[in-house]
Amino acid sequence: MRALVIDDSRAMRRIVSAALEGFGYETRQAGHGQEALDVLQEGYVPDLCTIDWNMPVMDGLQFVSAVRANPAWRALTLMMVTSESEQGQIVRALAAGAHEYVIKPFTADALRDKLALLGMLPEEAVL
Amino acid sequence: MTLAPDAVARSAQPRLTIPELIDEATVQAIAGEAWVALVGEDEVLVPVPGDLPAETLSAWVDVVGPWTGSVVLTTGRQTAADLTRSLLGVAAPELLDHEDVADAFGEIANVVGGNVKAALPGPSTLGLPQVGEAPGVRNPEDVCRLEVLWRGQPLVVSVQGALPALSTPHPNPPHPNGASL
Repeated sequence: MRALVIDDSRAMRRIVSAALEGFGYETRQAGHGQEALDVLQEGYVPDLCTIDWNMPVMDGLQFVSAVRANPAWRALTLMMVTSESEQGQIVRALAAGAHEYVIKPFTADALRDKLALLGMLPEEAVL
Repeated sequence: MTLAPDAVARSAQPRLTIPELIDEATVQAIAGEAWVALVGEDEVLVPVPGDLPAETLSAWVDVVGPWTGSVVLTTGRQTAADLTRSLLGVAAPELLDHEDVADAFGEIANVVGGNVKAALPGPSTLGLPQVGEAPGVRNPEDVCRLEVLWRGQPLVVSVQGALPALSTPHPNPPHPNGASL
């Protein structure tokens, strides 16, 4: 399975990527929503996108809306991974089309649990 | 110009200062949780004050809402570098550059700030992390200051109000994370 990790923090991209790779994902990274859209438009269509909220150029909510507006990307699973933890923000993200919401700070186990809920754990990570 | 009735009502409400909204124990719980998740399972923040060294680095995020201000982390530059190594773990480069430290320390401030924001009255917006010299305290009565030690080194978390109010964080600042390094 493939994942696109979208976060303006290089450190956080490394942390999320390392966790996903530990579960068996192949990962790519993008530093903001527009860069992630460019990756998708190049033809790299992952199974999962993890998305920070506050980013320069294009934020996570704008990215989710842009993905949901394109039927070609309907199968993408979108997971917000952000320090925005107000209830209203969570509702906005889910209403825009995100499937799941992980609040920073998080542990690899918490990420794994969320992926399992979505049925998005690669087989080798389930065993 | 005529203000809408709800705007008039809001402006008539007394502005709460941070000690009325959050206490040191809550800030410490938030910072402690961030440390365990980001820096390491065994990493603890000991609530003991210490003297910051001469060369410090600050990382902060601005919060704009019913309460407006900044959540600022300040520590010695070497401690910021040590935090970066712990955060990155095996992915840390052999030689850290300024951008590595700014990015990692800024992300810690972002996580702490986001969770402090969630403990305050909302809705609020959170700015992008900034790193450099800490913003000055504008109102000494609108500050919640937590002094801790991490691995014996001093670190300060300051939740400090902004008077006059900060403008709404710009969504696309030119150089996030990169200031003053």
